[in-house]
Amino acid sequence: MIHLEHLSKAYPFGTQTLWALRNITVTIAPGTLAAVVGQSGSGKSTLLNILGGLDRPTSGQYWLGGQDVSGFDADTWAHVRNRTMGFVFQAFQLIPTLTAWDNVALPLVYRAVPLAERRARAREVLTMVGLDHRLSHHPAELSGGQQQRVAIARALVGDPQVLLADEPTGNLDTDTGTEIMRLLKHIHQTGRTVVIVTHSSEIAKECNQVISLRDGHMTDGGGSV
Amino acid sequence: MSWLDSIRLAVGGMWHNKLRAFLTTLGIIIGVGAVIVLVSIGQGATHAVSARIETLGTNVVFVTPTAGTPFSERQVATIRAVIPFAVQVVPIVDAHGPIATAVTSGSAAVVGTLPDYLKTGALSLGTGQFFSVDGLSLDPRIAVVGANLVQTLFSGRSPVGQSILLLGQRFRIVGALNPVGQGPGSSQDNTVFIPLTTASTLMRTNQLSQVIIKTASPNQAALVANLLTNFFTNRVGSNGVTVASEDQVLQTLQATRATMTRLLTGTAAIALVVGGIGIMNIMLVSVTERTREIGVRRALGATREDIVLQFLLEAMTISIIGGLVGIGVGAGMVLLAPDWFHTAATLSPMAMVLAFVFSAAVGVVFGLYPAFQASHKDPIHALRYDG
Ligand SMILES: Nc1ncnc2c1ncn2[C@@H]1O[C@H](COP(=O)(O)OP(=O)(O)OP(=O)(O)O)[C@@H](O)[C@H]1O
Ligand SMILES: [Mg+2]
Repeated sequence: MIHLEHLSKAYPFGTQTLWALRNITVTIAPGTLAAVVGQSGSGKSTLLNILGGLDRPTSGQYWLGGQDVSGFDADTWAHVRNRTMGFVFQAFQLIPTLTAWDNVALPLVYRAVPLAERRARAREVLTMVGLDHRLSHHPAELSGGQQQRVAIARALVGDPQVLLADEPTGNLDTDTGTEIMRLLKHIHQTGRTVVIVTHSSEIAKECNQVISLRDGHMTDGGGSV
Repeated sequence: MSWLDSIRLAVGGMWHNKLRAFLTTLGIIIGVGAVIVLVSIGQGATHAVSARIETLGTNVVFVTPTAGTPFSERQVATIRAVIPFAVQVVPIVDAHGPIATAVTSGSAAVVGTLPDYLKTGALSLGTGQFFSVDGLSLDPRIAVVGANLVQTLFSGRSPVGQSILLLGQRFRIVGALNPVGQGPGSSQDNTVFIPLTTASTLMRTNQLSQVIIKTASPNQAALVANLLTNFFTNRVGSNGVTVASEDQVLQTLQATRATMTRLLTGTAAIALVVGGIGIMNIMLVSVTERTREIGVRRALGATREDIVLQFLLEAMTISIIGGLVGIGVGAGMVLLAPDWFHTAATLSPMAMVLAFVFSAAVGVVFGLYPAFQASHKDPIHALRYDG
């Protein structure tokens, strides 16, 4: 379970302070498919980065699985992410020098999983996203939709409880976007918590919880639909 | 992250930029190679001289002309005339060059000398004979070879009567020496003795390298040393000729070795620091180029330590491969092309080990800063970086 309480994030901006998130209190129950919506600059990515421990809140509490993780340092977060979370970025963020196969296996490298097992597991998830015929391709040799599917496979390879996706369809055409969404919903159906940042009200409608942000504030209770 | 994966990653990083990695290792290769060659030449040069001193034993006085001082058979005759009692006075011409039989080849130290050398007791004849005055008048192209050469050129079979190619001339072997073996004087085993006049002719000079005077007692040696010092100081000034007893020569030799070692250590340090700066430079470029990759790895679970290790090992891979190739190049030059150096170069295992250790250390020292820089990038900024 994810629970945020009076959570705020400030960025120093010259002599002023820019509040990217203000007094956010929200609970995301396990197995929820949640959408984070709001205008550009409203704090969606900031929220997702804090959920994934890539960024630290300025004040407030973050409870993850019953544990206060607000004070975790960068390396502790690295372990938490590696073992319990999957990240999908808007810009794919694949490593260009590695093949699709090695990109997907990467999280397992930092879990010290042996090479053969890593490769077997990576092939499994690549098959699941329909890319078993592109194992040895480098990111530059894949289409945008294929790259995003590799990125999703990479987020899934470690069998995470929470999947965080920052505008996973933002860079894709409508059809490919729909396909990626179908994949994310399928992952949700396997019992995982999925949090998707999106601009699309279509997508938001399909989710069972919508967190709506404006200027860093939540505009409703963030309750489940 | 496992060690095996860290190494795999480091090698992979290097492999991806082969040309750049090669150019970076070049600094280390040249540094390490130069150190190996220089140390080998230095050791070889002092070895050849110390071998002679050590096999000659005590009661010996060495007269050595300084570079630029004319010193020929005429001065030897003068020395003979100046010393009031009977002693062995043996002139020496030192050379070094390729040696070959019909089937194999190598290189050897060459000593041109007179039959009297045998009487100083420095040589122990195994088979055949040393060249005599009579033999010399008959045939100037005769040689006596050291024990190692018998092994390497003739596989241990008796070389007497065989012919060898030395300094571009055909020689007939008339005798072979007993092995000196490990320890003092061992490089005599790699030496060929030929008649003095032949050596002078082949080297196209009548300049002598050294004159050895063997006396009957330590007292006599001291007397002769004193006498000759005064004599040459009057004749050619105090700097033209060095007169020294065995003790003094050994001391000078040790001092020379120490100086040479310091000099080479300094050269090596400079070469490796220059190579290290090259590595640091490339690693900083690499860290900047791979900022996004670092962000991705952190987001996927890499700790700071993982990132430090990745870049540190990459720097070490470059320096260690550079070190190994440098040792190969240096040792290869010493072993395969000894004629380039015009002296007897002796490969030093100690220098090879030290060069390797130093090159690995250079990788650590100059890789640390870029690696720490990589590990301290903020993951969010790193993920946004576009370059
Ligand atoms: N590192 C930073 N330093 C200063 N201000 C920042 C930083 N990161 C974000 N901000 C500010 O915080 C606010 C929220 O940014 P955020 O990236 O969360 O928006 P977003 O909702 O994801 O927007 P978009 O839909 O365009 O991706 C913005 O006003 C932005 O300028
Ligand atoms: Mg955003």
